[in-house]
Amino acid sequence: MSNRHLFSLFVGLVCAASVTALAQGGGPIPRRADGKPNLTGNWNGGIGLSHTVILEEHPGGFGIQAGKGLVIDPPTGVIPYQPWALAERNRRRDDANAYEDPVGHCEYYDVGRMHSFAQDIFHAGDSIVIHANQHNTRVVSLTRREHLPQGIRLWNGDPIGHWDGDTLVVESTNFNGRTRMAIGGDFYSPNAVLVERFRMVDANTINWTMTITDATVFTRPWTMTSAVPMRRLPPPQGGRDFDDEDTCHEGNVPLVHLKNVYDQARGIKPTGK
Amino acid sequence: MRRARVRASAIGVVVAAVFAGAHAISLIAQAPAPAYRAPRTAAGHPDLQGVWRAWNLARYDLEDHGARPGVPAGRGFVVDPPDGKIPYQTWALEKRKELLSKIHEPDPYKNSDPLAKCYIPGIPRLTYLGWPFQIIQTPEYVAFNYEWSHKKRLVPVTPVAPPPSPDDVSNWTGVPRGRFDGNALVVNLTNFNAYTWFDMAGNFHSEALKVTERYIPLSADVMRYEATMEDPKVFTRPWTIRMELQRQKDTPILDYECTAMLDELGIHHTWPRDFDVQ
Repeated sequence: MSNRHLFSLFVGLVCAASVTALAQGGGPIPRRADGKPNLTGNWNGGIGLSHTVILEEHPGGFGIQAGKGLVIDPPTGVIPYQPWALAERNRRRDDANAYEDPVGHCEYYDVGRMHSFAQDIFHAGDSIVIHANQHNTRVVSLTRREHLPQGIRLWNGDPIGHWDGDTLVVESTNFNGRTRMAIGGDFYSPNAVLVERFRMVDANTINWTMTITDATVFTRPWTMTSAVPMRRLPPPQGGRDFDDEDTCHEGNVPLVHLKNVYDQARGIKPTGK
Repeated sequence: MRRARVRASAIGVVVAAVFAGAHAISLIAQAPAPAYRAPRTAAGHPDLQGVWRAWNLARYDLEDHGARPGVPAGRGFVVDPPDGKIPYQTWALEKRKELLSKIHEPDPYKNSDPLAKCYIPGIPRLTYLGWPFQIIQTPEYVAFNYEWSHKKRLVPVTPVAPPPSPDDVSNWTGVPRGRFDGNALVVNLTNFNAYTWFDMAGNFHSEALKVTERYIPLSADVMRYEATMEDPKVFTRPWTIRMELQRQKDTPILDYECTAMLDELGIHHTWPRDFDVQ
């Protein structure tokens, strides 16, 4: 079993454990003084492995749960890659190249991939801050109207938000093109424009979608959603846990195995220590 | 009044001297209360929100120092003890010398500075490492979002459970418990590990470290930062640093994925972490 599969199993166990803890029922949307929905809270991710492994509908395999597709447009559920990009996606999907995935190096998740995990959202002043798994943090400005200069390139782009009724719309640009959308190798280029819509439907539910426009990689814009809606997690027993810490890189021992697989596939003597 | 009473005896004179000395130290450690009153959040807390940055040389060396390769000479930031030196125990001074001799090793595995491996810099180093951070406040906690490797920490400012036993939890940035003291945010930190430094000059501590941070707004765009370090295993007494942080208005926090920089340098971070190489 590859380390990727081991990781997938681990993620599956974590997600399965969190399913039982979801807040039940709806209730009216909590609102801020300005009348806008207050998204503050702890929200589960898009429970299910499909988000971290493969975005399109796929059968189960050893270590991988079968998953429904997360692509809601185009209706085929297939990501509209240009031919070169599909070949590149499939190259990245190969186990022998798994070492290239920055997440294995404890580097940044893509915006969508963050939705695999619980997210702590707080809505303070003119910002919405999202803390997600590991060191994934986003600060969405609700006041800025122009993106950063083109020369500034960021792992998760430059997010600026506005309200469309009760829906928070977040547009991100200025990507560095280094993230992957899933272990399955899906990607977009630095030219991508991502538009996320966080629509609060009741006190405990947010529907999230993301539309990706990137003429460098795709033949048309496409839209994905999370495997399940974002659901509010109840406060942890005994109060909030302030004492955990993101230490992926500090304990990233398994990377050596991915590196050895990578080297072996290239006929190089494994260099891992 | 107090001084007049104790002047009567020789012992009293000594007591007065000690009191005066202690008073001077406490003035240095806590600094006079600034006249500025920060605006309040809806919860009534001093509003410290925004992007902040330390534009100074503290990242290189917290003590007065001459120039070294790549390091400008500069004044230190230690305000207590008054001599500006970190009060190391004798053995610890020797260890610092040894650590300092290995900060230029290009191989992070051999480099003595934990930051060479992109390990979390710890507190207070993360504050003045050179990258900005954004403060966000809710009624229950103050969130620090650091541009350096997207690190974050949450400081509760309402009563929560006491920190866990150091035997159960040791963190790179400690376990924080915060409160507001007038204008200031005061953060008490415990539960550190022994793998972080204070700067690039080999200044180190043990897992017994305790840190008290104070964020004191001096004006709309300037905040005083103080940190008092206690570690009876390494230092002879507590010591305090002080500096100013400036509000960064023109740019939000961006990003710096430290481990990705290792990749770009062709450094595979596959070294064993059993823990650590020191």
